Amino acid sequence: MISIAVSSQKGGVGKTTLAINLAHSFARVGVKTLLVDADPQGSVGLSLTRQSRSLAGFYDYLADPGTALEHLIIPTRLETFSLIASGQGSDYEAGGGTMGAHLARVREFLRRVSAAGFDLCLIDTAAGLFGVTGDVITSSDAVLIPQQAEPLGIRSVPKLLEGLNRLRVLNPRLSILGVCLTMVQNDLSESTDAATALRQLLPPEMVFRTQIPRDGLFVRASARGLPVGVLDDGAAAQANFDSLRSEVQAKLAPNESFNTRGS
Amino acid sequence: MNSIDPWLDPTEVRRLAAQLLSPTHPPTMTATDAGFDSAFIGYAAHDDESPITPPPVQDAASEPPPDRFTRFRDWLHQQFSATGVFILDHEGSVIFDDSRHRRLHFLARSVALSSHRPDAAQCHVRVKIGVEAILEIIPVQTADSYWVLGAVVAESLDPASSALVRDALFQLVSTAAES
Repeated sequence: MISIAVSSQKGGVGKTTLAINLAHSFARVGVKTLLVDADPQGSVGLSLTRQSRSLAGFYDYLADPGTALEHLIIPTRLETFSLIASGQGSDYEAGGGTMGAHLARVREFLRRVSAAGFDLCLIDTAAGLFGVTGDVITSSDAVLIPQQAEPLGIRSVPKLLEGLNRLRVLNPRLSILGVCLTMVQNDLSESTDAATALRQLLPPEMVFRTQIPRDGLFVRASARGLPVGVLDDGAAAQANFDSLRSEVQAKLAPNESFNTRGS
Repeated sequence: MNSIDPWLDPTEVRRLAAQLLSPTHPPTMTATDAGFDSAFIGYAAHDDESPITPPPVQDAASEPPPDRFTRFRDWLHQQFSATGVFILDHEGSVIFDDSRHRRLHFLARSVALSSHRPDAAQCHVRVKIGVEAILEIIPVQTADSYWVLGAVVAESLDPASSALVRDALFQLVSTAAES
């Protein structure tokens, strides 16, 4: 199994949208995928399930060693796509908790997800690289970083890189999949200029070729509790995530434990 | 000029990015770090199971302090195969060090102070610092000071040996304080 943390230094960069739709893209091609909401705000749950606030989830698992993983897994209509909601994580909302405090539980969680037969565990984390998010990244195989294509967000890149370098000391096997530009507005020069500047700044292999546009479809999909690819007119938006998925797969290709079961 | 560069240092960003993309290797401990050198032969040399004896006592007045510490070190090396020995005072100042492990000083003092209980018997703490290297931390309290011995050994000391070392250290530092 491969575990990928979807994490960013800054909030509001389209992280949850990317995590949901990338996970859906993997599931569509037969990768048995578990999408875990590790954001105490419960964004995945709020987007995809209507009763998310009452569901037990990731933070309940961290808090209670007696919580069984199978009781947390929410199946979807797509057999290869399952979710785990955030759960009752309000204690973690302010400050993200202490980093390292949940490392053992997070690693146990991932071991159990692997034992449950999942090929991919995609974890949507809270913004920032500290607290439980730091523990998730320190426990994961890889990290994918959504980055909003706007000047202010890109100015946070040095802090992001510093934070990841620190976490990589704790998890030397952590693979940096790269930065994915999100919320790109092709009709706004500040947005396209920021995207261009980031590509000039970072090594090419660190920035995904695929970029996710700002699209009202994502709001509509979220309102209906669906990945965008499920919408009647969502094929074009889905193509972005399929392209991103292909890039991720290419980067993970050397790892033999990543399986595609066929759609 | 774009809207990004004035806000950050491109050279530093590229350095951080390159660091992230470079392969990493788990930290390894060198032979020196582990407290061993080419002369270390381990407990296999002690087939005769000779009993551990206290360090020889000499007239304090007749022996300079550095020699006393060196003799104590030799005794630890002979009896316990200690490959690195250091002694710190209550302020963390290095009184004696032949360990080549200066990084262990802070660890030893921190552990000694954090485990110190005024109402309890003087304790003895050990920290595994390598595959076959253990840092024995033995603090002693004299009438007017607090001392910390750090000794890198291959196998942890049993309670009797620990007590023997503590007594020898107590004699050593008491003598040092008087002279």
